[in-house]
Amino acid sequence: MKKVCTNWAATFTSDLVSAKYWNEFKQNATNAAAEIHEVNSWAEAQAKVLELIAEQKATKICGVGHEENAEVAKIYETISGLEGVTLHTDKFEIAEHAEQSHVGISCAEFHIAETGSVCVDTKSFEARVTSMLPEMHIVFLNKNHGVNTVEDAFKIISPVFTSGHMGFITGPSRTADIERVLTIGVHGPGRFVIIAIDETNGGAA
Amino acid sequence: MAENNRNIRKEIDTKLNDPVLRGALARFAEQYPVARLKAYENVEDVDGLRNSFKAMKVDVVEHLEEIADKFEASVKARGAHFYRAKDGAALKEYLNKVCKENNVKRIIKSKSMATEEIHLNEYLKEEGYHVMETDMGEWIISIAGHKPSHMVMPAIHLSKEQCAEYFSKELGRKIEPVIYDMIQTARKNLRSEFIEADMGITGANFGIAENGAIGLVTNEGNARLATTMPRVHVVVIGYEKLIRNTQDAAKILRLLPRNGTGQRMTSYMTMVDGATPIIHKKDGQWVEEDRVCHVILLDNGRLEAAKDPVLKEVYHCVRCASCLNVCPVYTLVGGHVYGHIYAGGVGAILTALLHSMGDFEKINELCIGCRKCVEICPGKMAIPDLIDELRARNVKQKGLPFMVSAVFENVLSSRKVFHTLLRAASLAQKPFTSGKMIRHLPLFFAGLSKDRSLPAVAETPLRDRMANLVKKNKPNAKKRIAFFSGCNTDFVFPDTGENAIKVLQDLGYEVVFPEDQSCCGKPIIGMGDRETAKNVAIRNIEAFEEAKPDYIISTCPTCTETWHKTYVELFADDPKWKDRVEKIAHKVREFTSFVAADYEKLGRLNPTKGNEKVTYHDSCHMRRGLGVHEQPRKLLEAAPGYEFVEMHNCDKCCGMAGAFGVKYVELSMPILKDKIKNIQESGATTVAVACPACMMQIGGGLDKQAQGIKVKHVADILAENLK
Repeated sequence: MKKVCTNWAATFTSDLVSAKYWNEFKQNATNAAAEIHEVNSWAEAQAKVLELIAEQKATKICGVGHEENAEVAKIYETISGLEGVTLHTDKFEIAEHAEQSHVGISCAEFHIAETGSVCVDTKSFEARVTSMLPEMHIVFLNKNHGVNTVEDAFKIISPVFTSGHMGFITGPSRTADIERVLTIGVHGPGRFVIIAIDETNGGAA
Repeated sequence: MAENNRNIRKEIDTKLNDPVLRGALARFAEQYPVARLKAYENVEDVDGLRNSFKAMKVDVVEHLEEIADKFEASVKARGAHFYRAKDGAALKEYLNKVCKENNVKRIIKSKSMATEEIHLNEYLKEEGYHVMETDMGEWIISIAGHKPSHMVMPAIHLSKEQCAEYFSKELGRKIEPVIYDMIQTARKNLRSEFIEADMGITGANFGIAENGAIGLVTNEGNARLATTMPRVHVVVIGYEKLIRNTQDAAKILRLLPRNGTGQRMTSYMTMVDGATPIIHKKDGQWVEEDRVCHVILLDNGRLEAAKDPVLKEVYHCVRCASCLNVCPVYTLVGGHVYGHIYAGGVGAILTALLHSMGDFEKINELCIGCRKCVEICPGKMAIPDLIDELRARNVKQKGLPFMVSAVFENVLSSRKVFHTLLRAASLAQKPFTSGKMIRHLPLFFAGLSKDRSLPAVAETPLRDRMANLVKKNKPNAKKRIAFFSGCNTDFVFPDTGENAIKVLQDLGYEVVFPEDQSCCGKPIIGMGDRETAKNVAIRNIEAFEEAKPDYIISTCPTCTETWHKTYVELFADDPKWKDRVEKIAHKVREFTSFVAADYEKLGRLNPTKGNEKVTYHDSCHMRRGLGVHEQPRKLLEAAPGYEFVEMHNCDKCCGMAGAFGVKYVELSMPILKDKIKNIQESGATTVAVACPACMMQIGGGLDKQAQGIKVKHVADILAENLK
């Protein structure tokens, strides 16, 4: 898959990226109406995804990120085996089916404590539609890959962002345009779910 | 220069009588400051962040051409097209060509003020394109046929019932006024527009010179979708959005969502750089290719503004609209009365620069100069000062209306004529006066005294009392003070002037009153007539130089500010007067802060708790002009017999604001009523002020609406406790 940066984690430096920003991130993301699930392994992550698919009664799913991450690929294999569920991972299939899909799954590169945002690399078309068109968007996030502030986030972004499409997602799509009443799920997903994986606490690495 | 024949008084009246609008804006005005503060709770140094953002903008304006060139080169290097549009017409022509070249039929737009400024949607529709606005608020007002009434919340003036009516009309079926359902209906309708669109047009919140990227913040995701799907992406970006580096975007992103909507970040922050890949069907086959991208840099008056030594500050505007959210006038009438698409104080400036002076003339008086906006603007833009500047230039070019200029040149600039008239007024008002108030006025003046009594011109002005007062100067006084009364203290509140002088004499000062002093000139400056103002200033300066004072003290913060700041600015380019003015301005002090400093040294600032509850109203010029707010409180807390209590919105304008309170009675009265309510709810039976104009307004309001509560100048309260 085309990306702004093929290996974000390789650019992380310990003065910027740390596990210690998790709690503030979690608080701010929760305040922004993101749903957060903390897991200790990819196996647990898979279980959580299956749970969400069942809960959403999803039968059509789009997924990206499997080319870069073998663990994600394994989860997609499992989803493909589910009865009554169709998973699209090919970019042209995603282009065809994203609009009718119930769930889109992708990966986030890191999180930002100050704002509760996750940084996403959406240079490829399939990553963009997967994150925007379905009613629910699930992202896998390395729990320990967090930065403190937006300033710090841009210290990571600056050197690698030379072209393409990327950004932050902070909770689900929302509006307050009628009577200033907060309404979730406008043009983008109504549910934004973060599955945060902490591989340091055992589980598959 | 475009003229404008709008009847703005009638428009204001309509808005004031719109209960939906008034309710929505009043609730918002209460909730916004709280949400904003909460969003900033986890920013350590907000002021530092604002300063660094401002410094970044200053640098951009100084090097605008260089940065624009770099941006252009970066955009082109990444396979996107680039065009500089000198105005709306040029932009439209270019865009039309792009549409034709790419066989574009359907266009989706995500909200962009720059495209609204040049009425792009209307043009594209006329040219036969199918254009759909996708921001929910913009979509609603587009189907309603309205203009945006707020830069961030364009449909804030509509109720859900009104929205449901417009939805029903647009969709040809009955839509119930249930907000969630309406949004879902709109989502379904607009989704197909995104899928089928050939072109997406977006604005940009920033454009980065070093890599050619543009950034967009949205909550709904419409801008993100507009950059996701269509095979052609057009960016319309104004010069003011350019920044040098990617890192600079962080400053904008830390300020804009917090100030705009009270969020730490919007749902989506999207950056697009160059010709990004898309997948679409071509001849029945799915293909992946780089999409066509055009970046259009819009001038339309921006480059000229950048070269203007004063008005270039408009580049500090990040379009968060927070200045509207705290504006006492905007929060009463909403955005439509501002005429063009940019509302509020900053809207008046943008309208003048990007649209027409004709519209500016109509709306500039709606800025009451309270400086609430300056206090929270991310870029620390001095909005009221820029409006003053534009007004002065307009007057210089076109002159004032004959009656106004006749009054300024023949009355206000001659102390004798002005004071003779005031003395005549003292006699003429007799039939209407009861006590020290005028409660009712006949004929068309009646509106002036409907919810507010007006103070009567005093029988004996302060200047006529001075002969007796100076006798009480103690021998061997430590320093000499020349007292500048200002018109109000001299002719309306001479008792306060007398009390202030007694307080200063009690502190051991010799107080003198230069007889030739007159109006400080603020009303003239406020109307933009700087030449007459200079004549008035010179007469005052000469009178005070002659008195050889150590200090010049006034009980009016507006006069103090005018002496201290405006006189210096008026003569900044006048080598003959510059040093002289600076020297005398240096001696000017505001009464309460001067006295508080002496009281502190004398150990007279110990808090006490008396029986009478007193609250304090911050005058705009005192708090935000002079930065004085702690000292009068300390004086009140230490005043024997009083217990100090705060009121809600203590620093919100009382609605007087110089001539505004008389000229726009209909706007001034709701602001005053709000103030009276807050005073009542504080439980205080005395409200203290340190400004005679506020004293006039609040005193008049209390006389009509809450007679049990007294208004006193801090000087009056201090004098009560003199031995």
